[in-house]
Amino acid sequence: MLSSYDGRMNEGSVQSIAADPAEAALCGELARGDAVLQSVDPVLRHLLMQRGGALFADDVLARVKGMLADMACQLLDAGQLLDASGGEAAVSALAGRLADVPGLLGHLHAQALEWQVAQRLQAQLGLDPVLSPLLQALVGSTQPDVAALAMRLLAAQARFARQISRMQWPLAELPGDLLHAVLAAWEAEGGATAAVREAYEEGHTRHALAARLVTMMGAGALAALLPGHAGVALFASAVAQGAQGARDLAVLAMQEGQKTRLALMLRAGGAPPATVEDALLALFGGSAEDAELARVGAEKAARLLTSGAATGAV
Amino acid sequence: MGPLGQGPMARAASDQNDRLIAADEPLAGLQQRCGGTMPGAIAVPELRELVAKARRFGLKLARPILAQDGDETIRAWVEVIPEADRAEGGCAILLHSWQATPVPAEEPELAARRRAEIDRALAELTARLDEHQGLLTVEGEAGDLLALSTAMRRGIGRPWTDFVTIDGNIHRQPLHWQLLDGARVEVSGSQRRWRATLIPIAGPANQPAGFDLCLTADRPLPAPPRKAGQPGSNLPETALVGQDLAPVLRQPIARIIANAETIRTRLAGPLAEEYAQYAADIAAAGQHLQDLIDDLTDLEVIEQPHFTTAPDRIDLADVARRAAGILGMRARQKGIAILLPEGEVRLPAVAEFRRALQILLNLIGNAIRYAPEGSRIHLEYGQAGALVRLVVADEGPGLSAEEQARVFNKFERLGRSGDGGSGLGLFISRRLARAMGGELAVESRKGEGARFLLDLPAQG
Repeated sequence: MLSSYDGRMNEGSVQSIAADPAEAALCGELARGDAVLQSVDPVLRHLLMQRGGALFADDVLARVKGMLADMACQLLDAGQLLDASGGEAAVSALAGRLADVPGLLGHLHAQALEWQVAQRLQAQLGLDPVLSPLLQALVGSTQPDVAALAMRLLAAQARFARQISRMQWPLAELPGDLLHAVLAAWEAEGGATAAVREAYEEGHTRHALAARLVTMMGAGALAALLPGHAGVALFASAVAQGAQGARDLAVLAMQEGQKTRLALMLRAGGAPPATVEDALLALFGGSAEDAELARVGAEKAARLLTSGAATGAV
Repeated sequence: MGPLGQGPMARAASDQNDRLIAADEPLAGLQQRCGGTMPGAIAVPELRELVAKARRFGLKLARPILAQDGDETIRAWVEVIPEADRAEGGCAILLHSWQATPVPAEEPELAARRRAEIDRALAELTARLDEHQGLLTVEGEAGDLLALSTAMRRGIGRPWTDFVTIDGNIHRQPLHWQLLDGARVEVSGSQRRWRATLIPIAGPANQPAGFDLCLTADRPLPAPPRKAGQPGSNLPETALVGQDLAPVLRQPIARIIANAETIRTRLAGPLAEEYAQYAADIAAAGQHLQDLIDDLTDLEVIEQPHFTTAPDRIDLADVARRAAGILGMRARQKGIAILLPEGEVRLPAVAEFRRALQILLNLIGNAIRYAPEGSRIHLEYGQAGALVRLVVADEGPGLSAEEQARVFNKFERLGRSGDGGSGLGLFISRRLARAMGGELAVESRKGEGARFLLDLPAQG
């Protein structure tokens, strides 16, 4: 990048670091400042170019930030470390450290995006973000275990809607791997986590309930591959399970510019071409290339997805 | 899973090393079909990962797992609850749902492409053809194809079909390539049967611009006998069967036999008589294959330069009684009586029990196989100096002096075929007897039955 903030300021400072500790500290500060200034241009350009793109929409970013802070609150609260003032400084410090937990930001981002897609489909198709037609059918299933599970997912989905619009994220809703990473980070800070670990049941999370319901549907899980019928939550879980990929990736695949990925994931999961076309129509609006995308061979689709992942293109 | 109306369908438990120590069906069966044991390391990869994670994290995890056991794809919902003690405890595994679907068949297009790749890799003659199937280049080095490849190289430009005989093809001109693809082909100068594969090379307007011709044989050319002392003649490749082949062959063959037996005995439902008979043939052929693997494994072992047995004090008479007991059912099916000496005879010998039993099973098994129905097999004991002797005498057709000289040779079948023998049993038995300091010999005359004499060192 060519800009007024080039590297020359640093060269001089690096040489003088060894000379005097106080001066070295000042130079370090300057160097950090340089780095920030140097990144202004690309970040600004990125934000401006992405304007209108949903991935980094303001509400999505705000939600991710709010969810991080909410989790930090829960950890501090469990350790009774929140003082009367609400401990705003402690919360934001811990939230900053949680943002470094690998995979956590991506997960929260996917939750926010899922909610955004659900709201979009509500506006466009009148699809209830909590109770989709498929979930309604499952609640009324004659198989008692399916019906009971569907009821629990319905409750979890209602909780999700409430929490995410309040920008909250309960620790107990994290997948096991992420919760472990979060707790490990908190333990490194001296926090106590035994109670959270003890109370946690991955099987009670919304994701687990949805995934289990999809598993129980067996071959009928094809019905969950229609977003307008299944709702975003079950659709994401079914796509992920069919393509043997992560659910968060399935949510990302519903975003603008990811149509090819979604089509391939659907095909890899065994969705017939007509189903793929319907799904693309519901999420992206129809286009001429849909029919071709929908006819990629299932095995080829799976191969393309894994080879793409292998080269780091996610 | 807590307040859900119904409990888990199955439970299992793992220990602190993530080994499966107990499991209900269908988990136990899946573990076995995936090649695991009980107790033993969890053989289902996704389950193993999940259990290890739950134990390490100290978190209750619940996830779908996907497994394949060869025939079926299984999707299951599994909940894993680590025990409170994270260092010492294992996990409880609860299975909540189980969906098995047959592994889908390959897409035809993909299968065709794979077949083409396999043919390309195995072909002993490959040729590039133009769009009229005329020869452009020829590659082929196999010994029995030399005449063909030379002739083809001299006839570049002519259709490849001029140089071989194609089953049932009487046309002069080459047929459409799709009719020739997969055709059986005879090559003059080669004893082997060949198959031609034509792989089209895409050209404009969906017309092939040319072809790759692959000739694949039904079997490899027998390797020329290796000269003794040549480097590599006693490399560990001799352990090919026992170490590499036998373990992978045993299980599928056992399945073939088991399934054929199920069909034969009509356990799976009513069946026309002739089909039951076919199933019996399949089971018998499978049994033969299994015996052959056992024999080849043994052969490999006893041909190792440092082969030894583990001698022990045994009662050879007791070994003979056990062998007769094991084969009693087979003998009764042919109406053959195995006659043991009366009374509590003891025949103390120094030999490895397992090997002595193997020799006797082979001798008595042969006698049952070749003796006429309703005849008798006599077992006789004796002692001669430092050796004890056990004789297996049958009332079969007997062996001529010339046959007796050959009968202990490797792969010797004495002109028999189709009776399930490998021609290795007596060869192996004699090698075993000699390795234990004894001997195996035969006395016979044509038409008077055969007496096989097993001598082993006596005790004391």
